[in-house]
Amino acid sequence: MNTSTVQIIILIIHFLFFIYASTAIASYIILAIISSKETIEYMKKNSFVNYKEILSSTISPSITIIAPAYNESLNIIENVRSLLSSHYVNYDVVIVNDGSKDDSLEKMIVAYDLVKVDFLINQQIPTKPIRAGVFKSTNPAFEKLTVVDKVNGGKADALNMGLNISKSDYVACIDVDCLLLENSLQKMIKPFLEVTDKTVIATGGVIRIANSCIIKDGKLLDVNFPKKLIEKAQILEYIRAFLLGRMAWSRLNGLLVISGAFGLFNKKVAIEVGGYDTNTVGEDMELIVRMRRYMEETKQKYKVAYIPDPLCWTEAPDNYKIFISQRNRWTRGTIETLRMHRKVAFNPKYRSLGLLSYPYWLLYERLAPVIEVIGIIYFIILAALNEVRWDYALAFIILAYLFAVLFSIVAIFSEELTYHQYKKKGTGFKLIMISLLEPFVLHPFILYAAIRGNIDYYFNKKKKWGEMTRKGMATS
Amino acid sequence: MNTYQYFIDYFKNAPTIIQVVWVMIVLFMVIIIILIIYLKLLRIKLRKNEKIVAQYQNEYESNLIAYLYSGNEEEEISEEQQMIVDKLKSSVPDKFKRRVVVSTLLRLRNEISGEMAESIQKLYFQTGLINYALSSLKSKKWYVVAKGIRELAQFHVKEVNDQIVIHVNNPNKEIRKEVQLYLVTLFHFEGLKFLDVLQTHLSEWDQIQLLEVLQRFDEQEIPNINPWLKSKNDSVVIFAIKLAKIYNQFEAKDTLLELLEHPQKKIRVEAIQVLSHLQVYEAKELLKNKFDKLSLEEQIAFFKLLENVFESSDESFLQEHIQHKNFEIKVSALKIFKLLNIEKFHSFKRLLIAPKDAEIIEFIENN
Repeated sequence: MNTSTVQIIILIIHFLFFIYASTAIASYIILAIISSKETIEYMKKNSFVNYKEILSSTISPSITIIAPAYNESLNIIENVRSLLSSHYVNYDVVIVNDGSKDDSLEKMIVAYDLVKVDFLINQQIPTKPIRAGVFKSTNPAFEKLTVVDKVNGGKADALNMGLNISKSDYVACIDVDCLLLENSLQKMIKPFLEVTDKTVIATGGVIRIANSCIIKDGKLLDVNFPKKLIEKAQILEYIRAFLLGRMAWSRLNGLLVISGAFGLFNKKVAIEVGGYDTNTVGEDMELIVRMRRYMEETKQKYKVAYIPDPLCWTEAPDNYKIFISQRNRWTRGTIETLRMHRKVAFNPKYRSLGLLSYPYWLLYERLAPVIEVIGIIYFIILAALNEVRWDYALAFIILAYLFAVLFSIVAIFSEELTYHQYKKKGTGFKLIMISLLEPFVLHPFILYAAIRGNIDYYFNKKKKWGEMTRKGMATS
Repeated sequence: MNTYQYFIDYFKNAPTIIQVVWVMIVLFMVIIIILIIYLKLLRIKLRKNEKIVAQYQNEYESNLIAYLYSGNEEEEISEEQQMIVDKLKSSVPDKFKRRVVVSTLLRLRNEISGEMAESIQKLYFQTGLINYALSSLKSKKWYVVAKGIRELAQFHVKEVNDQIVIHVNNPNKEIRKEVQLYLVTLFHFEGLKFLDVLQTHLSEWDQIQLLEVLQRFDEQEIPNINPWLKSKNDSVVIFAIKLAKIYNQFEAKDTLLELLEHPQKKIRVEAIQVLSHLQVYEAKELLKNKFDKLSLEEQIAFFKLLENVFESSDESFLQEHIQHKNFEIKVSALKIFKLLNIEKFHSFKRLLIAPKDAEIIEFIENN
């Protein structure tokens, strides 16, 4: 190759990086605008709905909360109590003890007066077998509770057991350690009952971080802003993702993921597609994509809805080791799901799923960290070859940084104007500070975890979930 | 000065794209600074508003309690009451204060009953709040209209029925929903007349709300639901079926039987379920004769019906279906058989040899 050919190739590479970065930024701006519009509309619609009064009704459809538990002995009693405190009337709770090696089952038997019962299970989705049995409480106060003890098969397998056991029309799949607000089910069921021209197949809710919050008897008493940088940065990240991203995808009917921590599903459709896939670590995203694909292929009108209210609070990793392990798993889950459903990609038969949602996830979620790292390596090579115009590079780096900060501040604004959860004096300043620091204290670790996820996916197939050590939420 | 000049020269000589980048950097910095200041002010305002609302609420609450206890039998309105009315009246033109007054009135109204509740309602008129609610009905913004209707329903203002009923088929579903709730809250079953003219879909959410409101009222005369069961609006038919079930409308039996031939599967299934609830034997024979033509959902619903109305003559029909591939139908058929003919039920242990079948039989045997 002669010098001019090399220069042309380099120019093309520069141009591609530039186009990629510009379109990514443009997509964030567009999504933020759509999200804001949709959130305002949602707030208006819901400003005069009295959920407490209305859907405490016995006529309302039945919902089963399915919560898989594996070695959750430390907090299981408190967690179950929280799940049992919903204001929704027509619901029950199924705790699937997924082969725990600790004394979770024994603790629940004692705390909730459980006895083994005969239970006929319609095994519509294959799962690992029952181990100790199915348990119900003899105490009428806990009549809504069912505990299933089964052989370990992983989270997806446990959720499938819950789907088989549930007798309700709708299932809420949640992490057992999540704290649900009392009116969560009322709000989540609304889209299923309200939309008349299409079938709502699932509803996702906002997940908020409960680290440092005060919780008593399964109720959120006080929202606090945590002290550790990593926790603060995740709060900002969640606010940004949920308030400025997912709301827009809901509007575009393009949501590809509903957080595994809390989602409500149309049970019939979930079972028709075969339930959760036990061979992926991204079972939450995979199920939604499969459900959407099924609805497209069977030519049924459908919607995946989203509720912006802070309904579910969960514990986030408070150290980088666990954080990296979590994000590594999310990355592998995304890769697995996109590979499994690659038929959908750019396929007009799947309409917005194939032409909008899938390509977006592929380009700006799946490939983003890879492209970013390639960009960094390329920059280092150019720097080593003394081929960098430092003044130009500096200008672009400052611009990228300021955009990231501005975007975070807009997210904080959205939060303040809508739910205003962090009311305490001084928290506004802390939020601003973290928006300035986040690109340094969180983003590099997200990038590292994503790259590790890619490496593990291609070269370490045996790697599965990784550990999430729970400290338990603060109680008063 | 030299540094400044250096930057100016640098900017002037830079390529356009770099100039654009620097302009954007400055712009972003300005926006960020403005937003940070605004965020600070916003948070102060939000905190302040919370305090002010609490303060106004306390003030209005004590005014209202004083109003309720300062009346006398001689005058329609005592001097002290008139003073309170005037005071509240002066607050009402302010949108923020009006919102607090209305919410305080509502809270109090929900806590008391009888004459005192009527007094609160009277106060709603005396303070002129009603005029604001009525003027909101003319607004071009859907949420203002919807809120106005909701307020009028909460304060039981029946007199404006004519102005509200015109919105029954409003293109905005939130307005329609509030109109429906207004009519049912104030006129109970009479209010359901809107179903005669409803052209839009009544969502399940709307239906549940209406039924929930209706269930608050005892000893109401249930209107004739037959016309709604025959409605061309499918959602009205489904709602009427729910009414038939909740209020045990056996009188509508014949129309419900006709619905077994309805073109919509959902309506047919719901009809079977309500006929099962009402234990209508005629439905059994009709459905049994065309069982193979029914959809799976209808077949499942039919077996639930059969669990309520089975007779010994159904034995051969049941025997045909104990091997049904659907789990629910198989379980239903075996459950009924156990009650109908226990000996034959035991003989199935030999017939149904699949492990899953043995599990079902064992479960039914023990429960």
